[in-house]
Amino acid sequence: MERRVVITGAAAITPIGHRKDEILDSLVNGKSGVAPLREDDLLSGYIHSKVFGTVGYPIAYDFDRKYRKTMGPVSFYACQVAKEAIEAAGLERGFLSSGRVGVAFGSTHGSPTVQRDIYKNFFSRSQSRFSSIGAVDYLKSMVHTTAVNITKMFGITGRVIASSTACATSSQAIGFGYETIKFGMQDAMVCGGADEYDTTTVAVFDNLLACSTDFNATPHLTPRPFDLRRDGLVVGEGGGAVILEEYDMAKRRGAHILGEVIGFGCNNNGGDLILPSPKGVAEVIRLGLENAAISPDQVDFVSAHATATKMGDIIEAKAIHSIYGDVPYVTGLKGYMGHTMASCGVIEAVITLYMMEKGIVAPTLNLEEIDERCAMIRHATKLHEFPIKIASVENFAFGGVNTSIIIKKFE
Amino acid sequence: MTRGEIQSRILEIFKEEFEIENPGLDDDLRDKHEFDSIDALDLLSRIEDLLGSSLTQDEKKQAMNIRTIHHIIDYVELMAAKRS
Repeated sequence: MERRVVITGAAAITPIGHRKDEILDSLVNGKSGVAPLREDDLLSGYIHSKVFGTVGYPIAYDFDRKYRKTMGPVSFYACQVAKEAIEAAGLERGFLSSGRVGVAFGSTHGSPTVQRDIYKNFFSRSQSRFSSIGAVDYLKSMVHTTAVNITKMFGITGRVIASSTACATSSQAIGFGYETIKFGMQDAMVCGGADEYDTTTVAVFDNLLACSTDFNATPHLTPRPFDLRRDGLVVGEGGGAVILEEYDMAKRRGAHILGEVIGFGCNNNGGDLILPSPKGVAEVIRLGLENAAISPDQVDFVSAHATATKMGDIIEAKAIHSIYGDVPYVTGLKGYMGHTMASCGVIEAVITLYMMEKGIVAPTLNLEEIDERCAMIRHATKLHEFPIKIASVENFAFGGVNTSIIIKKFE
Repeated sequence: MTRGEIQSRILEIFKEEFEIENPGLDDDLRDKHEFDSIDALDLLSRIEDLLGSSLTQDEKKQAMNIRTIHHIIDYVELMAAKRS
């Protein structure tokens, strides 16, 4: 049994805004969400990169304490976007608890804020409280905390898939959710990912010399995907969710369909855990197309992973060219907000849906002078009014994990 | 600490920590206020603060059957007496 899978709800909390209008406004007006790295009295003083893709606005959460008590910051993002996406899709409580709805949701490593507090207490010689590690600290910090806090808040009783593959976390969540519905295991899935503000992740990439450091005084000018002056990635935070649903059911209940997932490719480079592989990246693009049963010339927009590292962007540009030539527009959305880690795949998919709906292709922010080694593809360097029909959303992660999601405009 | 002082501190903790205002002293906390085992463990941590000393594992296990504010007050009174 193979069933069609459509998207009936989407939501995102990003460094360039929360909700569709704000995000589109930032895209259309070239607003960056990258800001100075916050002081955290722990690591920030030692980190060379002083920039962060920051959610710098208040979010009005209205979660009861019975839900809040098991949530670290990452789950606040996750539950908020899940709530907005579920409401947008119009899924009813009875259906959510029917066993036919599941959750595919993840984060890079649960809640590092809570983990840090646990270890601060654990190693402290001057702790003031007797039971300094709280009863729920594990529930707040564990790697599947986002997925299960969503199940709890919405009474979801179906499958839980808690992908945790760094930068491919939420694109895998969408892909695995898509396959779960396609093959009849569930009728709907809440899919996505989230990551909270965390200097540990910045420190990891900083140690690997992968972070941007040249624009500490002008955060909005970095990262610079495919640009000659790019000098590395910018870590960010955020969350995103999509509701995937079996097509006939969505149609029957009169749901507003935002798009259709028609293909998913996923593979591993089978070798180096850090450097992207030209072969692995090209292969995952090919796998996505094969799964969607379409030819490369049918894809008219590529959301590139494009973290703005020296090597990664060149490898990706070459891989895109090897499959698509210079036909589809290519945008690196991280230029606007940095690398939102576990949430980047879903945020980029949600933004692609927004652009599809509005009939635009946003340019890669900060792409001023294209590196000639990345120049063989059709970069979006200015805002285009363009009706995206089929988009490929590409994401690649540490550990050699690659994904490609193929999304078709629903007509 | 008098029984009245204990009651007032416990009710304060319920209001501030658990967002449960003025529970009946004999209410079944689980049934009526969704006070679960996670909350119970957090409450024990607050009771340690109140007593100014750690509870042993056995003392904590002893608290796991507590269902009402009255029982909590009894428990704190007992633990305080053991320590005085």
